[in-house]
Amino acid sequence: MPIIALEKGRTRRFAGPALIRIAMEIAKLPLLLSCPDCDALFSAPVVRENERVICPRCQANLFSRRPNFVHRATALVLAAAFFFILANVFPFLTLQADYRQSNMHLVGCVSGLDKQGFHLLAAMVGVFTLAAPTLLITALLYVLVPLLRRRRLPWALPFCRAIQEARRWSMVEVFLLGVLVSLLKLGTVATLTLGTSFWALVGLMVCLVAALTVIDYAELWEQLEAAQA
Amino acid sequence: MMTFDSAAARALARCHSCGRVELVEAGHCSRCHAPLHLRKPGSLQRTMALTFGAAILYFPANILPVLRVDSTLNGARENTIISGVVQFWQEGDYPVAIIIFVASIMIPVLKFLAITMLCLGVRFGCWPRALTQLYRVTDYIGRWSMVDVFVVAILVGVVQLGSVMTINAGEGAFAFAGTVVLTMLAAHSFDPRLLWDAAAKNRRHSPARRQKGI
Repeated sequence: MPIIALEKGRTRRFAGPALIRIAMEIAKLPLLLSCPDCDALFSAPVVRENERVICPRCQANLFSRRPNFVHRATALVLAAAFFFILANVFPFLTLQADYRQSNMHLVGCVSGLDKQGFHLLAAMVGVFTLAAPTLLITALLYVLVPLLRRRRLPWALPFCRAIQEARRWSMVEVFLLGVLVSLLKLGTVATLTLGTSFWALVGLMVCLVAALTVIDYAELWEQLEAAQA
Repeated sequence: MMTFDSAAARALARCHSCGRVELVEAGHCSRCHAPLHLRKPGSLQRTMALTFGAAILYFPANILPVLRVDSTLNGARENTIISGVVQFWQEGDYPVAIIIFVASIMIPVLKFLAITMLCLGVRFGCWPRALTQLYRVTDYIGRWSMVDVFVVAILVGVVQLGSVMTINAGEGAFAFAGTVVLTMLAAHSFDPRLLWDAAAKNRRHSPARRQKGI
């Protein structure tokens, strides 16, 4: 992606806040842009598709416009939702020991800890592996699907905020690393095989990461604002 | 070197949730109605308090057992985080030993150091560019410490099924999960823009500039 240059924000010409406000109200557009990491002020650039804007002072990613991102992200999130359902329905580990075979589901991690009395720990694991991904996928679908028809649903703005929050606490990729480690840990004691759910989780991780990199939040908010309520 | 104006100097705030730049005096973002602040409120205090809490929890996390294994072959055994790493290393599982060592010992310790450095950076106003990079890495990497907690959860879940051995979670796992969550919150409540504010203030008061009479 080509990187486009930024001009410094020209607020010096304005006398004070009152004039900035008048200018913003007349233009009805965000005239200014500030870097989230270093607060440098720029005049909002015209960004064309496939262009990326980074902060010249601290190299933070400011914009990256990708063509058709709503359609692409919706497709990826739908795939992620499908994988997430599969991951919950099928077992992800099968244990064979003593000529017996037993399956473990994703919920098993939470219920196992809960049965041993570690309620809070169980709740934490539940939030990181089940609740946060669920919220992330629902919020993304709730915001993106109506945007395909340039509409937004009543609670779209809070849901859009929830995306960023849920993203931080959903730890599917860390959980997958945990599965691999425990596989090696138990490998000597019992025969373990990875189930359908494990591969579904891999798919979920790939689709979610791809969807979240395709989405540019600044662009998403602008589209939401322009969409019909 | 190019100099930049900070948005805060013009009383302009960037909305925390949607990124629109507005006048702070408006109080709420006109697009998403989130409250506007020039900087994350109480950022430094929150970061330091959460890090302190995490550091306190880190002691029980390492002293108390994470896992209690009771097998018919090897007898009862309690594993702390460190003894788990040592055991893997002795059994020859070097990759696993390294993963667990990096995720549960190295990352939390480096994270404590990194957050301390960030707070000192705000105090002394030096190296804003490098410290901003450090902030980004710290914010991203914290989640990977959770691996050990997930391993405990998976082992507890799996081993309920068989009868070869019983595995119980230990209190250490809970303390460790607490440490990780608190450091994640600490890194998130830190505002890197404070680094640039401090650096700009430093430059304004630097002797070289004073001599030139700027």
